[in-house]
Amino acid sequence: MSVTTQHTTPTELMVYRVVFALLIINKAGGLIYTRTFAPGLQKLDSNDYLILAGTFHGIHAISRSINPAPPVPPAPGNRRPPTTGIESMESSHFRLTCFQSPTGVKFLLFTSPEQPNTDVIVRRCYEVYGDFVMKNPFYSLEMPVRVEKFDRALGAYLARP
Amino acid sequence: MSVYSLYIFDRHTECIYTKRWTDRHALPAIRSTAGGALSNGSSSTANDIPAATRRAMKHSDDAKLIFGTIFSLRRMVRQLGGTDDQFLSYRTGEYKLHYFETPTQLKLIMLTDLHVGNMRTVLYQIWATLYVEYVVKSPLAPTEHASGVGVANELFEGGLERFIVSTM
Repeated sequence: MSVTTQHTTPTELMVYRVVFALLIINKAGGLIYTRTFAPGLQKLDSNDYLILAGTFHGIHAISRSINPAPPVPPAPGNRRPPTTGIESMESSHFRLTCFQSPTGVKFLLFTSPEQPNTDVIVRRCYEVYGDFVMKNPFYSLEMPVRVEKFDRALGAYLARP
Repeated sequence: MSVYSLYIFDRHTECIYTKRWTDRHALPAIRSTAGGALSNGSSSTANDIPAATRRAMKHSDDAKLIFGTIFSLRRMVRQLGGTDDQFLSYRTGEYKLHYFETPTQLKLIMLTDLHVGNMRTVLYQIWATLYVEYVVKSPLAPTEHASGVGVANELFEGGLERFIVSTM
């Protein structure tokens, strides 16, 4: 990447930095929100997205149990911090950043591999979710998110004009 | 910067080689207390099994779990990124898993700590300069390494040990 930066203008460089999609998975592994912001990933139907969410939920749990790192002694007076599951996954076409909230809701952000600060973006999505979904009195927990203000806020943050 | 383990799976999804550089001494103790807390029946049966056997069982279970993870992630990546997309690596808060697949569907998987960069070239080197040279070209090794026969020979083990030490 550092080689190409010298030859490309900032606007050309921006072309590579794309947020493809955001998925939100509830603590039971069910898909509650999916939205595509830019083309780049294969088109999947809603059933495939549901399967994908369930699969990832399982892999996330397994990745915690195969932790080979020696346990670090916790700070005195504290409990051992819980092992985290997959935080980021890379393939040759995209990068998946996963953020799990303390209540077990997982935010999956699909970006291009060149996109920087994906962990900041996914945390911002969590904030938007907290503001517009959790504070919505008509939203029932663990159910699919159909909140118009949330859609608009996410679009304003992630969709490229 | 450290390497925790290396796994090689053949095209029949069988684990043909495992190498660990750190041993988890604390783990059996944690597991037995967790079992005791859950139910008394399971803890008494778990205590009958010696710690060494339990550790070996845990290790073979780990290999199966890792293969399952890789298999699912690989399929997920192909589904989302297209048929020419390849799964490269994933990272958790504690470790990093690197993946390399040869054209013959031999899968090399390495688990390291978080302070290492891209290990794909290292895995390629292990396959090209060690596996092909010492295992594939070995006249004593069978073509299919069912249950790992012929993989863990002296030359391969020694070469791997030296190679890992030199890259770290």
